Amino acid sequence: MRINAGNLKKGEFVTFQGAICQVQKADFYSPGKGSALMKARLKNLITAKNVEYAYKSNEQVEVLDVTSVDMQYIYKDQENLYFMDERTFNQSALPISVVGDISRFFKEGEKMFVYMYNDKPLTIRPPMSVRLKIVEADDAAKGDTVSGAKKPVKVETGATVMVPIFVKVGETISINPETGEYTGRV
Amino acid sequence: MKIQTTIKNLNNYKIYLQVERTVHEFMNKNNYLKVDLPVLSPALIPESYLEIFETKFNYLDKKEKLYLTPSPEIFLKRLLVTGVGNCYYLGRAYRNSEPNSDWHSPEFTMLEFYKLGIDYLEMADEVLKLLQYIKIENKKLKISFKKWEKMSVAQAFLKFTKINEEELFDEKLFFNKAKEKGYNIEKTTYEDLFSQILATEIEPKLGISGYPTLLYNYPKQMASLAKLNEDGRTAQRCEFYINGLEIGGFCTELNDYNEQEKRFISESEKRKKNKMIDHTIDKSFIKALKYGLPFCTGAGIGFERLVMIFANVTSIDKLKLINIID
Repeated sequence: MRINAGNLKKGEFVTFQGAICQVQKADFYSPGKGSALMKARLKNLITAKNVEYAYKSNEQVEVLDVTSVDMQYIYKDQENLYFMDERTFNQSALPISVVGDISRFFKEGEKMFVYMYNDKPLTIRPPMSVRLKIVEADDAAKGDTVSGAKKPVKVETGATVMVPIFVKVGETISINPETGEYTGRV
Repeated sequence: MKIQTTIKNLNNYKIYLQVERTVHEFMNKNNYLKVDLPVLSPALIPESYLEIFETKFNYLDKKEKLYLTPSPEIFLKRLLVTGVGNCYYLGRAYRNSEPNSDWHSPEFTMLEFYKLGIDYLEMADEVLKLLQYIKIENKKLKISFKKWEKMSVAQAFLKFTKINEEELFDEKLFFNKAKEKGYNIEKTTYEDLFSQILATEIEPKLGISGYPTLLYNYPKQMASLAKLNEDGRTAQRCEFYINGLEIGGFCTELNDYNEQEKRFISESEKRKKNKMIDHTIDKSFIKALKYGLPFCTGAGIGFERLVMIFANVTSIDKLKLINIID
């Protein structure tokens, strides 16, 4: 679908200089003189590198029509994350560098959406929230419970999260995987 | 759009207030007169790149269109003509068709000030003095205002885009070079292509090496209301950048009213062609300029963008307790 670059949104897929890219950020920008621009940060889904590009806001951009497929995250190795389509048992690999930091919150066996284009996996659709168990934490420090003090804890995937000091080992918490922020106890 | 209340921005908002106080203090110490101005005006200066907000005054049978001012220039220049002397405005400005983004809001705060008897490069010293005057305790602040990193537009293009001076100032060569680089050059103008390349390849690299970057001498097509240099191809205009973001700009003001009038006409024709809001044109502004604008330099600074630096945040909405969001 062709759209005006001024309508580009975070998360959409475009072709830029021959490579499929995902829009990481798209911000309206108007220079003092001259027409408006759309400043975009595009992540190349092969090299995982970000490139900054300012589109003229009335420039036509082809947004790729991708599908999202429900898959199970099965495991990872040093480079890739592996997913399985539960209906076809087909496996797809995605480079960790492409999926990004968010993958440190993925638990094996979890269901997730993978974006596909022409039967090729592009990247994952980040879940709004993940639930993970705390496996390591210091004991709650006494006293300072009102000022919103935080402490680092380790969750079952090995990632570290800052949580309020009253949260204990063994509890399950919800996390916004995109920001890495604790959002509550479950 | 909806209203969002964000009390967790309180500390940033306090920095906003602190910067605001310091700016007033600086202006007062340096003998700039603070002027409060209307934001509703019955007529405007035609600008082909700014869309405006239109509203209506109603009283019984009397109905009159009014416009929110996109900049205080229309009033400040009038005052300069009448002999008000050095002056400044720190207040709201409104621009339509500019959606919320990290660096934009249709309603924003502008610091605009004029100093008589100095040119744009002398104004650069004045702006640096202002930046030095704003002292906010912030250990994360990675920028020093001891000096400018100065770069002419031609130098910046050569350094970051490999477009040389000859190619920059010759429209045909510039279009060829842009095409070679993969930019879409169809249905576009030199001005738009210039802005696009500047924003893509140059701006992200400005003001990131510890000092603010001052870009000066823009091609005459980008002159806006700036006086031209003797070389005939550049204008006495500067913009300054911190962390890749344009914070403000200034230029030696064009005081040739014939030129101004020509620009008025061409800008209002462009507005018509682009089907922009057909507003009443402030003809008395030209009359005032005919009377005589003194030799001066005017500076405009996006106030929220400036505070973003001192508060160490990357978007305007983090400075406010109430935001109107999409």
